[in-house]
Amino acid sequence: MMTAAVNHYFRSSIGRKHLVAITGLLLCGFLVGHLSGNLLLLVGPDAFNIYAHKLISLGPLLYVIETVLALVFLVHLYLAARLNIENRQARGKYTLKTRTGRGTTLMSASMPYTGVVLLVFIILHLMNLKFGTNYQTQVDGVQMRDIYRTTVEYFQSPVSVAWYVFAMACAGFHTAHGFSSAFQSLGLNFPKYYPKIKIISYLYAVTIAGGFAFLSIWCYLKGV
Amino acid sequence: MATTNNMTLNLKIWRQKNQTSEGKLVDYRVENVSPDMSFLEMIDVLNDQLVRKGEDTVAFDHDCREGICGMCSMMINGKAHGGFKNTTTCQVHMRLYKDGDTVVIEPFRAKAFPIVKDLTVDRGAIDKVMAAGGFITANTGNAPDANAMLIPKPVADEAMDAAACIGCGACVASCPNGSGMLFMGAKVSQLALLPQGQPESPKRALNMVYTHDTLGFGNCTTHAECEATCPKGISIEHIARMNREYLKAAFTYHEKNRSEGAG
Amino acid sequence: MSFNLDPKIPAGPLSEKWDKHKFEMKRVNPANKRKFTVIVVGTGLAGGSASATLAELGYNVLSFCIQDTPRRAHSIAAQGGINGAKNYPNDGDSVRNLFYDTIKGGDYRSREANVYRLAQVSNNIIDQMVSQGVPFAREYGGYLDNRSFGGAQVSRTFYARGQTGQQLLLGAYSGMMKMVAKGKIKQFTRREMMDLVVINGKARGIIVKNLITGELERYAADAVLLCTGGYGNVFYLSTNAQHSNVTAAWRCYKRGAGFANPCFTQIHPTCIPVHGDYQSKLTLMSESLRNDGRVWVPKKKGDTRKPADIPEEERDYYLERIYPSFGNLAPRDVSSRQAKFRCDEGHGVGPTKQAVYLDFRDAIKRDGKEVIAARYGNLFEMYERITADNPYNTPMMIFPAVHYTMGGLWVDYNLQSTVPGLHVLGEANFSDHGANRLGASALMQGLADGYFVAPYTISNYLASTPLEKVTVDDNAFKDAEQAVKLQTSKLLGIKGSRTATEFHRTLGHYMWDYVGMSRSEKGLKTALDGIRKLKEEFWSDLKLNGDTSDYNLELHRAARVADFIELGELMALDALERRESCGGHFREEFQTADNEAKRDDENFTHAAVWEYTGSNSSPVRHKEELVFENVKLATRSYK
Repeated sequence: MMTAAVNHYFRSSIGRKHLVAITGLLLCGFLVGHLSGNLLLLVGPDAFNIYAHKLISLGPLLYVIETVLALVFLVHLYLAARLNIENRQARGKYTLKTRTGRGTTLMSASMPYTGVVLLVFIILHLMNLKFGTNYQTQVDGVQMRDIYRTTVEYFQSPVSVAWYVFAMACAGFHTAHGFSSAFQSLGLNFPKYYPKIKIISYLYAVTIAGGFAFLSIWCYLKGV
Repeated sequence: MATTNNMTLNLKIWRQKNQTSEGKLVDYRVENVSPDMSFLEMIDVLNDQLVRKGEDTVAFDHDCREGICGMCSMMINGKAHGGFKNTTTCQVHMRLYKDGDTVVIEPFRAKAFPIVKDLTVDRGAIDKVMAAGGFITANTGNAPDANAMLIPKPVADEAMDAAACIGCGACVASCPNGSGMLFMGAKVSQLALLPQGQPESPKRALNMVYTHDTLGFGNCTTHAECEATCPKGISIEHIARMNREYLKAAFTYHEKNRSEGAG
Repeated sequence: MSFNLDPKIPAGPLSEKWDKHKFEMKRVNPANKRKFTVIVVGTGLAGGSASATLAELGYNVLSFCIQDTPRRAHSIAAQGGINGAKNYPNDGDSVRNLFYDTIKGGDYRSREANVYRLAQVSNNIIDQMVSQGVPFAREYGGYLDNRSFGGAQVSRTFYARGQTGQQLLLGAYSGMMKMVAKGKIKQFTRREMMDLVVINGKARGIIVKNLITGELERYAADAVLLCTGGYGNVFYLSTNAQHSNVTAAWRCYKRGAGFANPCFTQIHPTCIPVHGDYQSKLTLMSESLRNDGRVWVPKKKGDTRKPADIPEEERDYYLERIYPSFGNLAPRDVSSRQAKFRCDEGHGVGPTKQAVYLDFRDAIKRDGKEVIAARYGNLFEMYERITADNPYNTPMMIFPAVHYTMGGLWVDYNLQSTVPGLHVLGEANFSDHGANRLGASALMQGLADGYFVAPYTISNYLASTPLEKVTVDDNAFKDAEQAVKLQTSKLLGIKGSRTATEFHRTLGHYMWDYVGMSRSEKGLKTALDGIRKLKEEFWSDLKLNGDTSDYNLELHRAARVADFIELGELMALDALERRESCGGHFREEFQTADNEAKRDDENFTHAAVWEYTGSNSSPVRHKEELVFENVKLATRSYK
């Protein structure tokens, strides 16, 4: 059993949870960067476009970063889905099951569902924005993509804004549980710090979800 | 200790003849239930009625009836042990219910806990996980003086918090993932906290988790429903300690195959 | 059949007997141990520790338990602690002191050599359990903490919150699981021992019932260890678990094992009082509560005032009054009897008037609520859950309840019964507690027997006994199985009108009323008549449904009740024949002017050992004379 147990890590319940946690935290970190960049929308079209242009100008490095990000995302997605399927098989099929109210929360119970919404969202998000209409503009004589326009235009549709706000609410729910849960999975739940990690988790979720949602509404109100 | 105000209860109890047969909820009515009765004594009253009617009694697990042996189980109204804080089914008293209440009673269900009959399930998987490493190899006769090893009081207390597990399986039954992380984490954590447990700590974590995974238990997604239903109030901090131990062990433990050598 | 009651006590000075015996006993060489198979019935402290240790030594162990896992044996319910003569608190404790307290606590009805050995190995037990990871309570400096228990004037009790039994059992269980994984222990759960198989005068196997399938199974071995606990459930209501029963021991008795002192029953003073006919069990509140709780009743008979309204001068702290030097920590038999006397006199409290107060008011005033909560918090919660009263605000109500049976199968110094090869460990034997057991000593005895005594003596037995090869196809197995089948079909064939529980409850009333805390010739004769009649009714009017092909809980229960009824009769008979009072056995005819037990050392310094002579003849009473060379028999005084 010993050899099997030592080699079991990447197939084990805990080992895979470690990976879900690490990839989840990396994605959380990506969101912080993404939101900070998006805040440049508030500064003005040029600032936002220059920021985007600088990213694009990274060239091959950008592809590497994007590939890593995609891999992180796929690992997170794949493992979470696998675990979820296993867990559905492992749990008891009750006629009646209610919660104590002291454990499972709406956030923890909805993880797979918010996860699916986020998956759909990300696909649409890439299609509509990253791979959306390619307007061109010049800033200080430099030719670059007018991603600002693509963005603001996209949010002129109330349906787009509503969908975006809904997706961000899901992101908030997902990270509110996921952020602190990642610390638990990685064994970083020390009684001394865990209550603070939980608070940080909620603050993180509200900031990220609120920040992105605010920007979409801001774009809608700002108009083209 | 009032003995008046007897109640009548409508029960819906899961009846299933054996592991392979189909089961269903069956309606029963129990009268003259005293508020001072324990939940199991109320089932005793029902079974007494059934025997007199010539029917098969409801099979349920129970033994000490004082909340320590961990044998009683039951999902009462969808909650393990009735869902009261730090309470096993045998310590649930009928004063917590109202006259005329309908109470649904199902067995502890999980893939790892097959049903034996009615409300009785097979929790042998817990023993298997324990046999994989839930011990300190201290053969009889080896021990040094009990005070030779000093253990700070807060550490001993924390180990005791974890050691309080009664192996009832409520954590598994209430977990939305049917995971056995709490009972396993409690044991790994208890022994990892104590200096006596150190020599085997990595091996213990690796073997127990491996066995847990092969027995059909699910994975932890930190719902903490286990902590909420644990009749001994065991915290998921102990799962975190196990996760830590497991991480450490997975990346550092190494054991070469060596011949012991003939002397 | 002649009964060999030679206790086989080694010669020599008391303190050297065990060492000398260990040296002289035969050993089995390590390579030969794997050729022997040992059956261990029961997985409590005695059975669990014996299974683990025998397997570590190399024997093949077959372990049987009645629950779904070995970890649920009723040792788990012991709350208060385990004694050890470590003298860590520096209060003058020693092996001799623990030995003396235990002999005196048992009212001089136990065997000196056994008790001394128990005290000797007590320290090894503490060491062993700590090394297995039992989280005993500790001081801030990291050293082990101790508390005091009844019948002792030193603090020698080690504890793990209010769950010491649980922690010790889980320690023994973990040792077992380790050997299960190594394949040296084969574990059989949900099995009940139905008979002992004796071949050529030696115990060679057992018949067990698989409780789930109802099938009978046969297992053969070279020796059988019976670790099946006590028989307190003969009283129907007791602090024992629902599955605790006498059947395994009783069937051994019927196969030739002597039953010693069956009437020695311990009634624990601090239990939650009975509150209804439907009640299935009584809950013990740990004796440790008496470290800080004060026991009292109102001085006025039939006082119905709330406890808080009764002024200090109208309270009778009767244990402190009668036993000033031990006070509330008087031994269990004494405390229980005094509670009964107070209630009989009309001072009882509560709705049934069958209760006394256990009051923490003064302790809370002295030490603060936090300190008391840290010591007893879980017990207070448990009390409140059951009674809906909060002990921080109002005194607990307590009353004695049946808790432990000192009597059991007779064993010699090697823990072997009168049937060679059948060894009996823990509460199931009669050996160490005499007529009364001191608190925190049961855990000690179970583990002593399993860890440190039986492994040596079993090896001695296996090494020195010619054991012919037997298989489960031998006629003895077939016959034993047939006898069980016959009894089962007889039970199923009665088709009467009263349930097994009804019979059990009626038996319990006889036992509690006449064979309980206070016994008299008249009462015991009433009980004997009643129980004999009850037995006839049981075999002609039992109501039972179903068959043997299923998980038939009523059938399992009925078989146990049948044995309890027979045991009840033997207990009454034993109590009747013991014309003295000693420890938990109180005969009203034999008491001092101030209602204390009056022993008759001249005629009763012996263990009464009963021999089964068939279903139609009376059992025969034999004697093992108890020789006291090291302690002087004195009237026990806790004043």
